[in-house]
Order: sequence, then structure tokens, then C-alpha cells
Amino acid sequence: MDRKTILTELKKVLAPYTENKEMLDGINEDTDLMRDLKINSANLVDIIIDAESTYNIEIDFDSADRMYKVGSCIDVIIEKMNQSA
Amino acid sequence: MRSTGNDIVALALVNNQRTGQFRFYSKILSASEQELYYQPEIQQLPFENYVWLLWSVKESAYKYLKRLDPTLIFSPTNIIIQHIVIPGVSFDEPVAAQWESTGKDDGLYHGKVVCGLRTLYFRAKINEAWIASVVNEDECFDDVSWGVKSINNAGYKYQSLEARLALINKLSELLPGDLRIEKSPVGYPVIVNNGEETGVPASLAHDGYFVAYSFVLSSDIVLA
Repeated sequence: MDRKTILTELKKVLAPYTENKEMLDGINEDTDLMRDLKINSANLVDIIIDAESTYNIEIDFDSADRMYKVGSCIDVIIEKMNQSA
Repeated sequence: MRSTGNDIVALALVNNQRTGQFRFYSKILSASEQELYYQPEIQQLPFENYVWLLWSVKESAYKYLKRLDPTLIFSPTNIIIQHIVIPGVSFDEPVAAQWESTGKDDGLYHGKVVCGLRTLYFRAKINEAWIASVVNEDECFDDVSWGVKSINNAGYKYQSLEARLALINKLSELLPGDLRIEKSPVGYPVIVNNGEETGVPASLAHDGYFVAYSFVLSSDIVLA
């Protein structure tokens, strides 16, 4: 799965947690989940759990700490998918 | 440099079923905090409230420390609550439209939180609708003001505006002048009075239909 495909899937994971749908449509790897999408920090754990289910991966504590930008979310997802392959 | 950090969790937005799942709470609670819940006095608190109380304190501590170290990354399991004192009152008291700290600890959860080499102290309040917390470097919270206000619109822009308004309204009771809030490059609020930075550390939070603020106002600033 390439980064572009993961980004498209990630939009669906993020959608329930942001009211900024216009910004969500135009996200790129530099988009910050909290600053740009106005996602409440309390929802970050929800997003991690949803990403685990969507990609059938397990995201450990250390990796979860990196998931603040779309690009770093994609990095972690690819890393974990490769580990479980 | 003094700092402050606060947080609020709207309980209506909490997914209790998900909160109770190990794969969820283990991303928030450290192993020692999972053990801490089994102390009989702490088990009076429903587990989902325990998880979100600790989340809220961790958020507050992170905001406090981020002002001192702008490179800090929020890592919930590395901010560890070591001690919690449960108040001798029920957490299901009626929800007022506005609540402000009185400086007394009656009815408040309190305890100690550690992040690396830093030790901070927290106060927290829980009712039917929300969990709010604030942290301080000192066990004495005499110069820490914090409060919660309910709002009519949970849209992000409205929440943000109302949180700033609640902070300004409370501050203006104590600091005369032309008060306004600017934002630091790191993201924390900066209080400006008559065009000059006051040096009053402040923190804002919002979730759902609630906004919250904290600030530290020492007597020398009030008298200046």
C-alpha cells in the first residue's frame, strides 16, 4: 500500500473527529491533526485505535507519540504494516 | 519561570465501552497507574472516570511543561500520576453553569504527577458532566485561579472564543486595564494588559459544551 492510498484511507479514519471537513479534503503530509484539523487531543487515542483496526496493526506507546501530523501517521502505519507482514 | 496548565473532559463525549478496553486505556495509563486503580479508596471512582481523570491531569501537566520546554511531545504514559487523594464527597453533584475554584481543597481530587525529573501537583473536580483539572509546581494552590463555564455551542470557533472570554472576564476582576489574549508561537495564551505582556501564565481548555481556564496571579502582579 503506497503513501497516497494510506492518506486517502486515513481521511476516513479522521473524519469522525474533525468538524473541519474542508481542511480534511485537502490534507497533506504536513497537516497537523490538532492545529490544522482542530481535533481534540482526547480523540487522538480514538484515532490510533481506529487506525489499528483499519490497517490490522498494533501501535505501541512510543509510536503513538509520533502521530501528530498526517505524514508521521503514515510513517507509523507503514512501519507497523511492514512489521506484521 | 512560572507556568500553569489545565484541561477539561466533557463526559457526554466519552465512549465508556471503548474506555474500558485494555487496548484503549493502556495507551493512556502506565502500568503503575493501572495498578493504582486497585486501591480500595480509588475504586470508588468508576473506571472510565479514573481513566479520564488521569488523562485530564496528564494534559494539564503537558501544557504546564510545554511552556517551559516547547520541544516537549505529549506522551500520556510518560506523565505518571503517583498519588491521588479522593475527596469525601460524591462526584454526581448537580452541574452549575459556572464553577470557580475557591482556593480550598474541599471536594477536589488532588495528588502528585511526575514527568521525568519534574514533580507537579494537581487539583481536579468531577461532576456529572465534566472532569476538570489544573496543575501547579507547588502543593499550595493559593495563587492559582481556575474555573469552568458551560456554553451553548460546541463548534470549535465558538469554544475557543468562549474560553478566552471566560479567562478575560475572571482576570478583569483582579487586574484593571485593557486586557487581551495573544497566542505564543508554541500555542499557549499570553496575557497582555494596556499593550504590555503581564507575565501572568494562563491556560485554556474546551471540550463539548464546556470551557475552562487557569492562571497564576501572584500578589506582586496585582499590586504592581
